[in-house]
Amino acid sequence: MKSLRALLAIGAAALAQVLLVGHLPALARYCDLFLIVVVYFGLTRPPATAMTTGAGAGLVEDALIGSILGLNGFKKTLLGYLVASFGALFMLNQTVPRFGILFLATVLDPFVELGLSLALGRAFDIPGALDLVWRGLGNGVFGLLFFWVAARLP
Amino acid sequence: MALLIAERKPSLLLLALLAGNLVLMSSRLRGGGRGSLLQDSVLAIGAPFLGAASWVAGGVGGTWSSYVDLRGAAQENARLHQRLTVLAEQANAGEETRQELARLRDLLGLKAGTPFETVAARVIGKESAEGARVFLIDRGRADKIRPNQPVVTPRGVVGRVIDVSASASKVQTILDPNSAVAAIVQRTRVQGIVVGAGENGLRMEYVSDLVPIEVGDVVVTSGLDQIHPKGGILGIVVAVGQGDGLTQVIEIRPEVDFRRVEEILVVLKPEGDPGEAAQ
Repeated sequence: MKSLRALLAIGAAALAQVLLVGHLPALARYCDLFLIVVVYFGLTRPPATAMTTGAGAGLVEDALIGSILGLNGFKKTLLGYLVASFGALFMLNQTVPRFGILFLATVLDPFVELGLSLALGRAFDIPGALDLVWRGLGNGVFGLLFFWVAARLP
Repeated sequence: MALLIAERKPSLLLLALLAGNLVLMSSRLRGGGRGSLLQDSVLAIGAPFLGAASWVAGGVGGTWSSYVDLRGAAQENARLHQRLTVLAEQANAGEETRQELARLRDLLGLKAGTPFETVAARVIGKESAEGARVFLIDRGRADKIRPNQPVVTPRGVVGRVIDVSASASKVQTILDPNSAVAAIVQRTRVQGIVVGAGENGLRMEYVSDLVPIEVGDVVVTSGLDQIHPKGGILGIVVAVGQGDGLTQVIEIRPEVDFRRVEEILVVLKPEGDPGEAAQ
């Protein structure tokens, strides 16, 4: 049942992300639904579920956006683990802490990719600070909306 | 068993997943873009998502575009309706101006053909239930209008001025039963008096029955009443009947359509004209 929920969440995120990229590209820039799904599972599920969901979401994202297969899988797996570990240590079931985690995960994401790119000898331009802040705020707002909707699902 | 290990030792699962992803990445980079079996599998799993997403995106996008187009069409429709209303009003105003211009040209032609000085005036009101016995015009004493001055249109005689104020005047039309105009039948030169018969038109009286009058004969002013200049068209004979004694009564259809008169010409007769004394 947990796996089915994770699969449905990834599928829904993929659909919504494609819709956003296709029709509201300006908004899609500040809304990473795969990351939001990973953070959600990280804060509400055990680390193993969060990591597998992260790996699955990342691989689907790679398949969808055509990047190096495994790149987003790696990032999202690591993020899932970190968020789940962090969530196990602290109470993060309130709005402000959730927003903070979403923000931090967004900021951390390009740095993980930077590290990977360095390790693999690839070029990678890290986004500007202001851009990162906007992305963090966007993911924070959309993430809270996702949490609100998910809490009302059966 | 593996699930149990993963639950208890998440760091092992983390390492396994990260390593798997690294293998995927390195194989991709080594292969220069050629996919491995694992990569193909992941792509195979992701492909349905991609297809579904594209399908939904296409559907939603199409619906959205249709909705936007429909909204645009509705807005454009409203805008065009508004534009159409404005253009219809402009066209109507243009047509009015064109007709007025034609009427004024006719008046101008008449003015040029009249030996007296004339003043063009606009009919601003009509008195009487029939709407054609007395006109109110927008010219008065300030425009040299005086009582008993004849009023005409290019179609024929309208009547005479009976009352004058500073900026407006009253015109008694020849349809008024109190109106009497000295007239002559153009073809036979027989004389008589044309009096108004209200909505029934005009009636010519005191016409000798020795001279045959025919339907279709034209009746014009004779000038003997010293008000109307000679030769102004009054109307066409439509019926001829026997009068008292040795006279015949002639029914005349006026040439002027009194219900549609909008502009007229007042003939300014010189001061001291006998017509003024006749009042």
